[in-house]
Amino acid sequence: MIVTFIRTFIVFITLIIIMRLMGKRQIGEMQPFEFVITLIIADLACIPMTDVSIPLIYGISAIFALFLLHQLFSILEQSSSLIKRIISGKPSIVINTNGVDMLELKRNNLGVDDLIESMRAGGYFSLDDLSYAIFESNGKLSPLENPNRSDDTNSISILLINNGKINAKNLELIGKTKSDLVDFLNKNDANLKSTEIMTIDGSGRVYLKVKKKKYKICTLKFEEKLKW
Amino acid sequence: MVRSIISMICVVAIFIAGALFESYFINKQFDEFHDVLCVLYEKVDDQTAVMDDVYAVQKNWLEKKRYLHAFIPHNEIKEVDLWLAESATLVRDEEWSDAISKIEVLIELAEQIPKTFKPSLENVL
Repeated sequence: MIVTFIRTFIVFITLIIIMRLMGKRQIGEMQPFEFVITLIIADLACIPMTDVSIPLIYGISAIFALFLLHQLFSILEQSSSLIKRIISGKPSIVINTNGVDMLELKRNNLGVDDLIESMRAGGYFSLDDLSYAIFESNGKLSPLENPNRSDDTNSISILLINNGKINAKNLELIGKTKSDLVDFLNKNDANLKSTEIMTIDGSGRVYLKVKKKKYKICTLKFEEKLKW
Repeated sequence: MVRSIISMICVVAIFIAGALFESYFINKQFDEFHDVLCVLYEKVDDQTAVMDDVYAVQKNWLEKKRYLHAFIPHNEIKEVDLWLAESATLVRDEEWSDAISKIEVLIELAEQIPKTFKPSLENVL
């Protein structure tokens, strides 16, 4: 019983650390320690039920240990904001008035694609639709809509440049070449290396975010038949 | 908050009580079983053991294992069952040297199984 308790404690702490290191990608609507409990408890309940060679008390004592840890972590979280930050992390502002904060995305092991996906789930299809976006500690995106957001957008944005790398497939979709893109960037006081994000929607509206600069909205003309 | 603390105290109390009971119960059962096995060992060593001696050990073990199933993995109990059954056959056939080695294994098991419940480093890791 006491050995099961100690082992449960070690596994729990290890999983908490791993979940925290993995960032917000793996968590959905739960605090990391709640997610860890959900992860373990299903197996703990199942193994003694199906494996008749293990006494039932092993599973029961481990479940009790998890309950104890859950209560303990809940109390610790309530008692100090520092402990809460250590256990559950803190919300991250991934979009601010300057545009997407790549550093904050990286800190949470997230990519621009993940951000765009979360925004789409919330009904926002362009990166400038939001003034602020916060990834909460439970992995959910909390958006603050841009008051200047245009409601007449009728096409989806696609990613052309992600952290200085061109998405060749999407570039082909708009019928442009790498040199066209480099020319466009030069005209907008940017270059490929310094460009963090560049998206384009079906009407040629470009969201351009260059390192250490505020994002820019501009237009890239392409053939009418290629518009979507 | 108060409810959480009370529930935590209750769980800790259950754990401590459960762990103490488990430790006491398992040690007691295996100490008794160990003593019974030692008596059988001496008789087999003297070549004076009869089948009734082995049956007495088996009966003793049967009574104990009914409750030990709640605490010990059933495979370990099965292991003791098998070694005991083999010892019985060897005593019946008066193959003393083989019987004694089987009983030695049983004595070793009776010593080692309770140790796996102690909160030591090798058990936790």
